[in-house]
Amino acid sequence: MRDPDALLEVRGLKKAFGGVVALRGIDLTLERRQIIGLVGDNGAGKSTLIKIISGVYPPDEGEIQYEGKPIRFSSPMEARGVGIETVYQHLALIPQMSILRNFFLGKEMLRRIGPFGFMDFNDMRGICKEALEGLGIRVRCLDEDVSFLSGGERQAVAIARALHFGAKLLILDEPTAALSVRETETVLNYIIEARNRGLAVIFITHSLHQVYPVADRLVILEHGRKIGDFKRDEVALEDLTGIIRGTQTKDSS
Amino acid sequence: MPKRNASSAEWQGVTLLGINRRTTLQQKEMGVLIATIATGILFTIFARNFISWANLVTVLTMASELGIVAIGMTFLLISGEIDLSVGSVFATIPLIMAMLFVYHGISEWIGMGIALLVAAGIGYLNGQITIGTGIPSFITTLGMMMFWRGIVLALTGGRPVAFFGRSTLLAILGGLLPGGVRAVSIWFVVLVFILWLVLEKMRYGNWVVATGGNKDIARELGVNVRKVKLINFTLTAVLAGFAGCIQFARLGSASPAYGEGLELEAIAASVIGGTSLVGGYGSILGTFLGALLMAIIRSGLVLAGAPAYWYRSFVGAIVIIAVIINRKLGSGGSQK
Ligand SMILES: Nc1ncnc2c1ncn2[C@@H]1O[C@H](COP(=O)(O)OP(=O)(O)O)[C@@H](O)[C@H]1O
Ligand SMILES: [Mg+2]
Repeated sequence: MRDPDALLEVRGLKKAFGGVVALRGIDLTLERRQIIGLVGDNGAGKSTLIKIISGVYPPDEGEIQYEGKPIRFSSPMEARGVGIETVYQHLALIPQMSILRNFFLGKEMLRRIGPFGFMDFNDMRGICKEALEGLGIRVRCLDEDVSFLSGGERQAVAIARALHFGAKLLILDEPTAALSVRETETVLNYIIEARNRGLAVIFITHSLHQVYPVADRLVILEHGRKIGDFKRDEVALEDLTGIIRGTQTKDSS
Repeated sequence: MPKRNASSAEWQGVTLLGINRRTTLQQKEMGVLIATIATGILFTIFARNFISWANLVTVLTMASELGIVAIGMTFLLISGEIDLSVGSVFATIPLIMAMLFVYHGISEWIGMGIALLVAAGIGYLNGQITIGTGIPSFITTLGMMMFWRGIVLALTGGRPVAFFGRSTLLAILGGLLPGGVRAVSIWFVVLVFILWLVLEKMRYGNWVVATGGNKDIARELGVNVRKVKLINFTLTAVLAGFAGCIQFARLGSASPAYGEGLELEAIAASVIGGTSLVGGYGSILGTFLGALLMAIIRSGLVLAGAPAYWYRSFVGAIVIIAVIINRKLGSGGSQK
């Protein structure tokens, strides 16, 4: 059954690494303006699933439809080109470069002087500041190196950048794993803001308690299978914990 | 710098960038600036005539040929690679030019054009081998350093090629200007300005830093990492060859023995100037000062009456001290 409003649909996704089967046939539909909490134990296949969606790996089997069209990415660049942005914990910003330079890396704004293009720092500064403040991030000095920022601040910059450059699907793989409680809360706020702007967000975590309050939908993986897919409002946190512990098995409609 | 003091109640977010720990241009070159000033003061006290027009001109001339090689090296180092063959290229390229010009009667302009194309080819080859096979550029260019040195020794039988006639091109490259200033100093300053502009103000500079900072992230964000490295390998070799041509113009001779050890001096100038050996961080102005500092030491020791042998020890100490200062100031990716 195809959902015409769906941003992304995957069907029968399978992936093995040598003898290790990471995904055993996953179906998943993502709608716009929705936060999906993707939960499951270590090794459940969460990262593999989103790496296929974001063009890092090709699937062994299965199909992907994006905005109604079948699609097969051969690189993360291609996925990014159509609006699928992934914020990895450590793979988002260049530590030795300033916030401003990172924000526009690969998409620098230029001002032409004769045949030469020079970076338009004034315009970039204004836009970067606006993009960060739009997420509620205070900006004092955009020229500071990213290496001086905390993990949460780095993610904030990466998320703001993704939003600014027109992401439609934002994927975060365990973004809060190394963050303090307060920083985690802040990152969750950014995710809500991204959803409110119309993005689909996949938020991976192995802490159900963390994602439950903010998610619109919860998808549970185990051993490469989807063992649950619920609207948040239709399921209680206790039931979900039960499913993850294996005391209950239940699938949604 | 825009400052904002909104009441925190308006903000849910974290405070970014509370302290201005570093504004890039202020501190990147601090280590070398301090070292240069300190050394300058030292020689002003101990060396007679250190502060004189003649000596300043000499210092700038001495800094220039090394400096032109070093700013290329800086670009390459920032992008995460190294070139140990610059000294051999520095000898090879002017020899090609001189042989075409002196032995074969080819116009010096065309001769230099061909020679610089060869330099570009050598640099490009360094890049292709390094990137294509994945071996470290330290190894590729160590091999190339020996290879090209051997080639020029074989080609010339170890003898220099000399030219003492008149030539417009050679005058433009290495001639004497009013006030005793050498044309090479002008070339150096102009090239420093251009490369500074490219590194700090142009998109390409951003890509160079990103490539050396983390090539995987840079690639993810759409930077053609391979192309950046190839361009930098090529640029480094062309600048080394060009510096060699300038030396030929200045001395009227090209020798297969020139430029030995130049690769280490160029790396030293870069590192003294704050450039990281592991990539992702560096400064053209720093390298400019680094080359200047090395020339100051060389001429200062002579003026102070110390045997020239001390030069190496002095530079060696400065390399270590400048890098320590750079780290203490917390600048640079070299500590991460
Ligand atoms: N590149 C890889 N090579 C080999 N095995 C892999 C690779 N990536 C993941 N796997 C394996 O696939 C399974 C799923 O891993 P992963 O998707 O990372 O799980 P999760 O993110 O849910 O912790 C694990 O058994 C893991 O060891
Ligand atoms: Mg994972």
